[in-house]
Amino acid sequence: MSAAPLTPVLSRGWDHERSWTLDAYGDYAALRSALRQDPDEVIATVKDSGLRGRGGAGFPTGMKWGFIPQDPTQPGGDKPHYLVVNADESEPGTCKDIPLMMANPHVLVEGVAITCHAIRAKKAFIYVRGEVLHVIRRLQAAVEEAYAAGFLGADVFGSGIDVDVVVHAGAGAYICGEETALLDSLEGRRGQPRLRPPFPAVAGLYAAPTVINNVESIASVPCIVERGADWFASMGTEKSKGMTIYSLSGHVKQPGQYEAPLGITLRELLDMSGGMRDGSELKFWTPGGSSTPLLTAEHLDVPLDYEGVAGAGSMLGTKALQLFDQTTSVVRCVLRWTEFYKHESCGKCTPCREGTWWLVQTLERLEAGKGQEGDIELLLDQCDNILGRAFCALGDGATSPITSAIEHFRDEFEAGMHTPAWDLFPYEGSTAWAKPATDAAKGATA
Amino acid sequence: MATLKEQLWDPIAGFGVTFRTMFKKPVTVQYPFEKRPTAPRFHGRHQLNRWPDGLEKCIGCELCAWACPADAIFVEGASNTEDERFSPGERYGRVYQINYLRCILCGLCIEACPTRALTMTNEYELADTSRESLIFEKSDLLAPLLPGMEQPPHPLRLGDDERDYYSGQAAARAVAEGSVAAGPGGEQ
Amino acid sequence: MTVTKGNEPGTELADQNLVTLTVDDVEVSVPEGTLVIRAAELIGVEIPRFCDHPLLAPVGACRQCLVDVPDAGNGRGFPKPQASCTLPVSPGMVVKTQVTSPVADKAQHGIMEFLLVNHPLDCPMCDKGGECPLQNQAMSHGQGETRFTEKKRTYPKPLAISSQILLDRERCILCARCTRFSEQIAGDPFIAMAERGALQQVAIYENEPFSSYFSGNTIQICPVGALTSSSYRFRSRPFDLVSTPAVAEHDACGAAIRVDHRRGKVVRRLSGDDPEVNEEWISDKDRFAFTYARQADRLTRPLVRDPETGALEPASWPAAFLAAARGLAAAAATSGVGVVTGGRLTTEDAYAYAKLARTVLGTNDIDFRARPQSAEEAEFLAHAVAGSGLGVTYRDLEEATKVVLVGLEPEDEAATIFLRLRKAWRTNGTQVVAVASHATRALEKVGGQLVRTIPGDEAKALGEAGLAPGTIVLLGERLARVEGAFTTALAAASRSGARLAWVPRRAGDRGAVEAGCLPNLLPGGRPVADAEARADLAAAWGVASLPGEPGRSTDDILAAALAGEIGALLVAGVEVDDLADPQAALDAVDAAGFVVSLEVRASAVTERADVVLPVAAVAEKAGSFVNWEGRRRPFEAVIPVPHALPDTRVLAGIAEAAGHDLGFRTPEAAAAELAEVGVWDGARAPKPEVVPGRAPRTDPSEVVLDTWRRLIDDGRGQDGDRHYQATARPSVALLSSATARAFGVREGEEIVLRTDRGAVAVPAGIADIADGVVWTPANSNGLSLLGILGAAYGAVVTVERSVPADEADALSGPPHPHVPTEEDEQ
Repeated sequence: MSAAPLTPVLSRGWDHERSWTLDAYGDYAALRSALRQDPDEVIATVKDSGLRGRGGAGFPTGMKWGFIPQDPTQPGGDKPHYLVVNADESEPGTCKDIPLMMANPHVLVEGVAITCHAIRAKKAFIYVRGEVLHVIRRLQAAVEEAYAAGFLGADVFGSGIDVDVVVHAGAGAYICGEETALLDSLEGRRGQPRLRPPFPAVAGLYAAPTVINNVESIASVPCIVERGADWFASMGTEKSKGMTIYSLSGHVKQPGQYEAPLGITLRELLDMSGGMRDGSELKFWTPGGSSTPLLTAEHLDVPLDYEGVAGAGSMLGTKALQLFDQTTSVVRCVLRWTEFYKHESCGKCTPCREGTWWLVQTLERLEAGKGQEGDIELLLDQCDNILGRAFCALGDGATSPITSAIEHFRDEFEAGMHTPAWDLFPYEGSTAWAKPATDAAKGATA
Repeated sequence: MATLKEQLWDPIAGFGVTFRTMFKKPVTVQYPFEKRPTAPRFHGRHQLNRWPDGLEKCIGCELCAWACPADAIFVEGASNTEDERFSPGERYGRVYQINYLRCILCGLCIEACPTRALTMTNEYELADTSRESLIFEKSDLLAPLLPGMEQPPHPLRLGDDERDYYSGQAAARAVAEGSVAAGPGGEQ
Repeated sequence: MTVTKGNEPGTELADQNLVTLTVDDVEVSVPEGTLVIRAAELIGVEIPRFCDHPLLAPVGACRQCLVDVPDAGNGRGFPKPQASCTLPVSPGMVVKTQVTSPVADKAQHGIMEFLLVNHPLDCPMCDKGGECPLQNQAMSHGQGETRFTEKKRTYPKPLAISSQILLDRERCILCARCTRFSEQIAGDPFIAMAERGALQQVAIYENEPFSSYFSGNTIQICPVGALTSSSYRFRSRPFDLVSTPAVAEHDACGAAIRVDHRRGKVVRRLSGDDPEVNEEWISDKDRFAFTYARQADRLTRPLVRDPETGALEPASWPAAFLAAARGLAAAAATSGVGVVTGGRLTTEDAYAYAKLARTVLGTNDIDFRARPQSAEEAEFLAHAVAGSGLGVTYRDLEEATKVVLVGLEPEDEAATIFLRLRKAWRTNGTQVVAVASHATRALEKVGGQLVRTIPGDEAKALGEAGLAPGTIVLLGERLARVEGAFTTALAAASRSGARLAWVPRRAGDRGAVEAGCLPNLLPGGRPVADAEARADLAAAWGVASLPGEPGRSTDDILAAALAGEIGALLVAGVEVDDLADPQAALDAVDAAGFVVSLEVRASAVTERADVVLPVAAVAEKAGSFVNWEGRRRPFEAVIPVPHALPDTRVLAGIAEAAGHDLGFRTPEAAAAELAEVGVWDGARAPKPEVVPGRAPRTDPSEVVLDTWRRLIDDGRGQDGDRHYQATARPSVALLSSATARAFGVREGEEIVLRTDRGAVAVPAGIADIADGVVWTPANSNGLSLLGILGAAYGAVVTVERSVPADEADALSGPPHPHVPTEEDEQ
């Protein structure tokens, strides 16, 4: 277990003095070497590295780039290409892209420039969640610095290649993390998912071929170019290669970002983060944000890679590990998440719009101990009617915590027929404020 | 050839009922000099009910007309306005006619009524001398104004909004204070 | 309902690539690209749907049409149910709908339950109740009982998004049909979705109503009662209504409509479904303007002027026939009778007038053009239009490479053409070019370009429009005011291989041409000047001969009446304010010794007539219109009205009273005779040869008037519905910024347009319009330009900047002759 070390690559310089500046970052050496290569060579390198999308779905990044039509005779081939970076990180529990852009924006900007070269795009957009103003400012400053240094703009490094980067602030909608809704929002429309086909690779932004990647995927590109595909592939497991950022939150002693090779287990991560809080005992956790089915203490040794988590009946998602202890009511927790989905449902399709509205009301009843006979079956049936029926993945995601929570903690839902959650799990019982002040202070400094 | 029994006994036996009945109390009613109450759920003339403040319950939805197997009902709805309110809600029955020459008093209309606006009374004396007089207009069918009721159009008196109005809480308070009549307006 | 790519059954289908798939164990072959939901319709399986509409782009929002697809054609199936309204067919695909798949059935029931979660239970008071797709499909594909016992979302209701359209957000199921229609079909995206999640709602922009000429279509395609009209609100229930297919009478497009009436009174009109003409869309004018025939000024009895008192007295039909016949016969025998028919007649009625004029009155003095006209136009109609049958069609417009509009504003004057042009541009990339003084919003909405011209210079500008084979030129009736326009257009078309079509404004115009209501034209396109054609027709009619002298045009007839050269007038459906010189027309009617007027409602002519015969409105008689394509659009009587007879019957009565037999008494018989008379196959009338003129010269205080009637204006055919009338657009006088500067006028300031007849004050608007031109609507907001100014398209008017105080009252001109328009409640 001690053999599973952290592999800080993206997060290496986070604790450096003014880590977000170009001075602290370096001189875009990876971009310089990528520009000397043929674009197809870059794509091949990324393909060989086995890098998979870090936004949750885990689609191979190099393959996605390869879908962009480069032959003018192909549909969409005669149009300009675009790169769009999805930095609309809004999933409950997920906080990897925002710290990354906060502490090391240049790795993203460099990755954007390399990707633009690879897919022959002249223009890239970074769509940042609107609420995180400080990150937007830092990213904008980084882009300005890169322009000033000649790393962006016309004729980068004298290669004859132009790269323009626009940092676009969203208006605060979870749905805009869905890639086609993001494109609509970027074009100035209402952020609602688009009908597919056509897929963004053929007709995306402004109906032109578009690559949409997660921040972390793009940020992982410079190190692959710099150190080689083999180096990257040497980390991780057979099908999930490389390192990634795990975000631990909840009732752990030291929440935060832990960059480690894919396939690490929660037990190992917990060891490194000092374990659960004193008096806390792991009750349930999410492997990748609230949209991934819950796991329990039984799953501590599940390898946290795409296949491992899927094997345990969940999804790796965004590797947002939220850990909850025995003082947490599952019903209450699921209700809060469902309220989030109800608030963030875009309203386009019926099951998500009306389903989340109804789910919240049913769960509220159970939280208040006023559940009725058959409410659990009703919840499961509502989820069944949403899952796979909704227009995009938001509806599916909304059902995951509910169905998995009922699967693992059915008795708590049954208790909701007669006992309010605040009686079973009083707020005062939470480890959040049950600790003496000294302990809390110790935790903060640790 | 008829038997002896058929020839002699059978003609007399037929009078048996007559003889027996001669000693029973007669059931004949001396109508119209004597009027007996009908069964409590007798299907008589219709009535359009009111809310306790006098507003009409009918919303002019025409479901009664739809249900009517004899096509005896004619309804036309219209919009309530802020200045002219006949019923709570958006819609009221501007025209309401029942043609008692066609009506078979089957009661399907009152079953169809979604607001219990239309009910039937026990009144059965529906004869008249002209066709026109047997087409009852809304004014003929509306329940009488009970104490505390006010002839529409007028604003909602049983609460400030519709929720308050229909839940009856404001109405209950009003009844307690004695300002309007108790019970759902004259419904039978 | 089913619209596959090939609308011509059989013929086109064979040419297309067919894809064979299996739906509910039944094999079906459909054209490539067909959606599964339509393929299922072909085997008789109706998959429930809300957001899907065959004429709108697929969206997949409501998810009601989920089906199971165990094999997508590649051997693999979809793990979850798919929306059949967004899924194109592929070869070998296997689809299982609710009929054979429990999964699809459960999915559909689940979606229906969700839709009803926030849908109010106010069906009894909802206008859609009884004809509601949600109601119907909840019965067929929903659960009998609800499991939802919690709180529904509520909103204040209803919300007026225009004076005519009411929005009930509680009922809305957010299928976005209305917003997609407005954006895709009408090009008026004034409604859009706002908010998100269950609070998503249809909304208008702040302080901007839903001002679209096609807004009524959203009511019709709304699958719930979320959009309703003020006019029809709470008026009726579907089971009260008798529906009759009919044809819209307000323009020359021939749009198919459905008239719903209750107890002899029309309560609403809906769009019909005619893929070749108006598809499923009509303008608000076609939809809402139907109350004109039941206004208080409706004529209900024949009137004959009492020779002693001089007053019009009610008379019996036979007495009125006799009085009319005597007066007309007397005039015919001496000085002659002029017949002015107007453009609102059915083809059959027009034919009756044409025959009566030639056989009973013995004259060719008949003209349907109750508007500014020219001899060139009559020659053009005789040469290129009459008897030419089905020419350029809507489908041709859709497939054309280029459409040139000359003297025609499609949205205002021919709304169905506008929608087709927009569709042509969006789907086929058709280039639209308007030869006009400025680019209207309609031109922008069809992606059109402008060839800028001053009214009067169209003939010259036509050369710049770039005609070529595959181009279609649409000529509007305003060109009658432009010297040489028709001549030039004919020449340019024959040179370039472009096709021409004449688009009149009124429903009866083209039919009147076919029926021979022109001084130079007999029925079936027979030229009056052609002795052979006359003999042919005389033989068909069984008369010895027909008058061979070409007749007079409307203007000439009226001038002759004023001069005492014509003794009697037979006037049908003519508004004097439509004529080139309304005052002269009234003087002529006064001067004529004997006037017979056939009218629906009292007018300035009926007031002055000696015999007034009340005739049936369009909805009250059978007949047909011929639309601009040359397509015959027959219709049946919708509601019988005992006091009104069709013009045909009245004319037959007059003829009989005069001792003639018109040969028919009913529209049906007239139609049969017209068909039998047939189209002239001899030599066509020669084409017009008029030297193109120029726009009038103006001095610095003058401008050239560009004008047309807006779709919704003060026309008497639109009387009676205040909700509809309130959707009319405000008047504006458009000037270029240079012209405005020259007159010292600022935007929004009132300017006065003046002729020697009168003056109107209109707020000025600055637009990208040709210099030295002012555009203002011809008959809006109480300002009839012909009635007040006597000025038509291309006239010269003076512009004054401010309104002198002492004249302010007189400016609005004579009050418009329409009667107070409170809806009648009879």
